[in-house]
Amino acid sequence: MFGYILRRFLYMIPMMFLISVVCFVVIKLQPGEFGSQYFENPRVSAEAVIALRHRLGLDRPAYEQYLYWVKGIVTRGDFGYSFAYKRPVGELIWERMAWTVAVSSLSILFTWLVAIPVGIYSATHRYSIGDHLLTFFGFIGISIPSFFLALALIYLVVSTGGTAVGGLFSPQYIGQPWSWAKFVDMMNHLWIAVIAIGTAGTASLLRQMRSNLLDVLGAQYVTTARAKGLSERVVIYKHAVRNAINPLISIFGMELPEVISGTIISSIVLNLPTIGPFFYDALLNHDQYLVMTFLMLSAFLMQIGNLLADILLAWADPRITYQ
Amino acid sequence: MRLMGHRRNRAPLLVALVLALLLFSVWSVSAQESLQPKKAPSILFQQIGKPGGTLTLRLGASPKSFNFYGVIDSSAYTIMMGNVLEPLVEANPVTQVLEPALASSWDVSKDGKTVVFHLRPGVKWSDGVPFTADDVVFTMENVLMDPNAEGNSVDRFTIGGKQVHWYKVDEHTVKAVLPQPYGAFLQVLSQAMMVPKHKLAEYVYPLNPKLKPGAINNAWTTNWNLKDIVGTGPFQLAEYTVDQKVVLTRNPYYWKVDPKGNRLPYVDKLVYLIVPDDQVALAMFKAGQIDRMVISGQDYPMLKKEELAGGDIRVFRGQPVQNTPSPLHVAFNFDEPNPALRAVFRDLRFREAVDYAINRSRIIDEIYNGLAIESGVIGVQRTNKAFYNPAIEKMRHPYDLKKAAELLDAMHLVDKNGDGVRELPNGEPLRFTLTAAVDIKEHQDTAVLIRDTLQKIGIKVDLQLIKFGLCFDKAMAGEFQAMILAFGDQPDPQLRKAIWQPGWPLYYWHRSTMTKDGKLNQEALLPWEKTLWQLFEQGETAMNPAARKKYYDEVQVLFMKELPVIFLVKGMDLSAVHKDVGNAFQTKDGVTVWTNYTVFKK
Repeated sequence: MFGYILRRFLYMIPMMFLISVVCFVVIKLQPGEFGSQYFENPRVSAEAVIALRHRLGLDRPAYEQYLYWVKGIVTRGDFGYSFAYKRPVGELIWERMAWTVAVSSLSILFTWLVAIPVGIYSATHRYSIGDHLLTFFGFIGISIPSFFLALALIYLVVSTGGTAVGGLFSPQYIGQPWSWAKFVDMMNHLWIAVIAIGTAGTASLLRQMRSNLLDVLGAQYVTTARAKGLSERVVIYKHAVRNAINPLISIFGMELPEVISGTIISSIVLNLPTIGPFFYDALLNHDQYLVMTFLMLSAFLMQIGNLLADILLAWADPRITYQ
Repeated sequence: MRLMGHRRNRAPLLVALVLALLLFSVWSVSAQESLQPKKAPSILFQQIGKPGGTLTLRLGASPKSFNFYGVIDSSAYTIMMGNVLEPLVEANPVTQVLEPALASSWDVSKDGKTVVFHLRPGVKWSDGVPFTADDVVFTMENVLMDPNAEGNSVDRFTIGGKQVHWYKVDEHTVKAVLPQPYGAFLQVLSQAMMVPKHKLAEYVYPLNPKLKPGAINNAWTTNWNLKDIVGTGPFQLAEYTVDQKVVLTRNPYYWKVDPKGNRLPYVDKLVYLIVPDDQVALAMFKAGQIDRMVISGQDYPMLKKEELAGGDIRVFRGQPVQNTPSPLHVAFNFDEPNPALRAVFRDLRFREAVDYAINRSRIIDEIYNGLAIESGVIGVQRTNKAFYNPAIEKMRHPYDLKKAAELLDAMHLVDKNGDGVRELPNGEPLRFTLTAAVDIKEHQDTAVLIRDTLQKIGIKVDLQLIKFGLCFDKAMAGEFQAMILAFGDQPDPQLRKAIWQPGWPLYYWHRSTMTKDGKLNQEALLPWEKTLWQLFEQGETAMNPAARKKYYDEVQVLFMKELPVIFLVKGMDLSAVHKDVGNAFQTKDGVTVWTNYTVFKK
């Protein structure tokens, strides 16, 4: 197992390199670059933009810019410098990490805590009124874009006279030390974000759980278990669910990058101080090293997620082994 | 021993002498330093305000830095300009006329090349350190003229290729020496914010030889200790929560007073909430979390209805004072590769025909919900008391399709094959692509309206609707046939000659007027473009405001007559404010009044 994990990590190096090349090429394929946005700015002369391009090295060939960036990472562990913020990109991403991870983890937790039990209920009560109702809401959840749901929830709150819209806190609590009142205020704001971001995921996960479990429930060993006289509880939870959950573990692995990159539009709409809107802004600004670092982090998490899922699978299912 | 005795005898005398000297110097300094406040213009007041309270505004994006000269970022400007940092002279927020600010007066020499500024006595930075001539010379020579400072003003203070130089005369007097008279000098100075030498000198490259060029950009970034960011403005930075809010508190040393002599600003705290999404900002405004915000034309009717239904808000539809964006215009590419089409675009009769065919009142009513006016030219609107030329009103072409068709007929552009589209002399249809921004609703709708009306006079228009940024890139590259665009603009035409004078990169409808290395290409100029170029050159060196206005009056007339671009409409300044905010109102001329240091919470 240890050898397997080590091998997987070694594979990641060429993989990350390839991903970085592709990302950089795509970034460079965008028309314009960091300087071009300033031409329309009344405060900036054309000469200043040309000087800026030169200072940032944007007038050099693309491959040189790429190699410069890679060199910084390899020799100094330096992921570059944000053109817009004049600060190291690592620092900027780190500043926004705490809230990003907190909000995403909560919404992922919400997704799983709701989807798994409801999926099991749906499968075990197939074609009952409850199942139909849950299926109906599930489809609505899948089809509503999360940013729209966010706007609808905000509208609902405002029209009922609430003030807890946008952001994670009411203005007076932002930047204040933690207190019970601040925590309550955060909870008042957070539920919109968790529901808006989590709903689509919940709905699709719920459908997945339901169909997996239905497959398994039709299998012979379930019938055998029932024939042995085991209680329905044991049959479902000890035998059926355990087998039905394997594909979901793979899905869980894929969700890891979502922790930082998920739901950019919803975060903008909800005014969350997370990394999504920050990344979007950097993309629009052509802040290339910031975009690259972010994409690399996301790709890295994807690979770690896959690895974790594979390890978890081996642990959950004794039939799977890795050499 | 004798010596000792001597000393013992003299000691009290010495102490007394020292004390007297000290007292005298304290007295003389304080006499010299007693503040000579400026009375804020009475046009900004509806009533005398009540001190205290918190004013909360919206910021559309996080600040990239707090360094006014180290970054090109509108959020940084919103926070720093006028709130924290201030210029020597300032434009009146309502009339745009220049007034004394950190300089209480100035004298211009007879030859127009030397200007002596007398600094306002007793002004202090928000940390209590006196503001002196050293700060002015530092800002003007070392900071904003640093070509490696990202938000530098090198081009503003370089006249005819030579730099303006600044000299300290004494603690409270500075002298600017201009290479030649420069009409827009005070205007550009009104945008040169003074920064503190005692806080920034160690981060400026040539002053601190250990640094690299451009080091100034790395100072006052968003992770800086905010106590070290000081200004002379009404507010000082107090706290920044990343991507959430910026808090400013009142500057106890502020030098402006209201008409009754009370210290300004009225509010204790100024909070900017960072809310990128317009809909969320609107929801927060309605929930009372934001006191005032600029609104869009789409939201205006809904908010106005709420006001009329007795809501606690007021909604203002102000005459355009904001210069950015410039009025919406249509441009035709004078460098179009197809020679037949190029000849048409360069023919004044064609542009006149298009001008006659555009129904501006329909654009105003249907696209802007009535929240726009027929625009002036080159960004000079009626409210601009310094430059507006009323003569252009009589030169406007009314909406007249018949006249438009006649003009096209006169150019021998007629529909010979009866397909409803006129033909060029070479038999090709009179057809071109109109490019407009898909992400700005007004631009997109205007493009559709123009396509439909031009179809009525036998011109086939294909629409290319793309992102605004791409439109801009295409305009700069000359890759378009016709384009709908608006720029960032300035109140003084000299400051945006890069758009409106031939031979500059933003004169995008005739890019061949600029050579590859950025110089004027004389041969490419059309006859009237020569005059236009000349007028801008003359306006630049005239020092007397009346003489300057004369040149720019002619520029405006020329734009109306030759239609290098066809100006359409200019959106009005729309804003909404909660009723508990005082001194937010509209003047008789319809200009919306709002300054952070004169408003107050009732």
